[in-house]
Amino acid sequence: MAGQSDPHLSIFSAPELEFLAEDEMVEVVPNIRMEALHVICGDFGPFFPQIAKVPLWLALALKKRDKCTIRTPEWMSVERLTQVLEAERESPREFQPLPFHYVEISRLLFDHARDDIPDIYMVRSLIEDIRYVRFHKVETGLETISGRTHAVKLKNLSAMEVNIVRPFMVRALQAFYKHDSPQMIQQPQTMGSRRPQVVDRGSRRDLRPR
Amino acid sequence: MPGYYDIDDIIMEEEPISVVFQVGAHGVGLLDPGSETNNVENGAKVDLPFWLAHELYLRQAVSISVPACFSQKTRKEIQADAACVDLRIRCPYFYELGCKIVPCKVSDKSIGSFLHYAFTGRYKEILSKSHSASVVTVPKFSTRLTKEESQLFEAARSSMLAFKKWRLGGSRLEKASILGRKRKTTIPACPSTP
Repeated sequence: MAGQSDPHLSIFSAPELEFLAEDEMVEVVPNIRMEALHVICGDFGPFFPQIAKVPLWLALALKKRDKCTIRTPEWMSVERLTQVLEAERESPREFQPLPFHYVEISRLLFDHARDDIPDIYMVRSLIEDIRYVRFHKVETGLETISGRTHAVKLKNLSAMEVNIVRPFMVRALQAFYKHDSPQMIQQPQTMGSRRPQVVDRGSRRDLRPR
Repeated sequence: MPGYYDIDDIIMEEEPISVVFQVGAHGVGLLDPGSETNNVENGAKVDLPFWLAHELYLRQAVSISVPACFSQKTRKEIQADAACVDLRIRCPYFYELGCKIVPCKVSDKSIGSFLHYAFTGRYKEILSKSHSASVVTVPKFSTRLTKEESQLFEAARSSMLAFKKWRLGGSRLEKASILGRKRKTTIPACPSTP
């Protein structure tokens, strides 16, 4: 589980994050009638052949047993993703709002619900492009951090992307903090005028224009 | 973060530093390979590990001179191109040693900003190379990094590789490796008892 591997590295591994993503709700259309399911996290009502909202793990389990079809989430349509990709390419410092677990949800749906998604190749390549553009933005933003950075704000970043950069970013910030802090005080004669700035918060390295 | 129990810190403190003795020391001629008697003269230049040099410095018995890895030659190389300098050969604990030396009032006061400059320059390279996750460019570059930088590099690379591995798919349950070995059937060919 989390924390069993090297504690200095990432808190979550990728499969663990996928497991957490399976709590998201999706819509399914069951093929069969079934009575209500009572599980620990709640009750999932009697299933009729009409749209029902269930967690993703339950949807995948039903799908594997051929008991339902999964309705594609509305953010996963080709038009919506093309819009998001255009917007990502246009704004070099902002991230577009996307569902928090979009990477994991899309991968799970591609693997298990292949026939339920229209234009699957197009959707897959769009999501890859979006992921690539966003990650590139994260990297460019990371280039600009320095010792004065106290916090890095990344708005609208998704869970998997955060998980990838988390160990690197934490270590880099620690290293910059170590290198930058005592040196200022070391040379008071040359940097006397800069002394008061050491106690103030320093600039916030936003990746979003204020 | 350095600490009493941190292995990297302990190994780092073994790095030799050249010091100049301010007082004469009796009975420790072992430290100075050039001394004839069992004493170290006042003003003798000796190589000591950092932990010893630091302690003696606190007792004002020695003065610490700038280690070779922070010499002018290294500085010029780093100013030329920070990312290509092979810091591991010079001193694998470049940054940590520098940070420890800075409070020792070594004659050269600009070590701190020099370290910061070197690190910022190399950080950009580390950032781009570690996240590309291709096997080819890695070995050449990673041999030039100090211990601290290579930890940073490894952290990014392993998380990137883990993500890529997850993305390729496959079941979440891994088979334990012990089950993979072929087992010989151990049914001996014994004659059935009548």
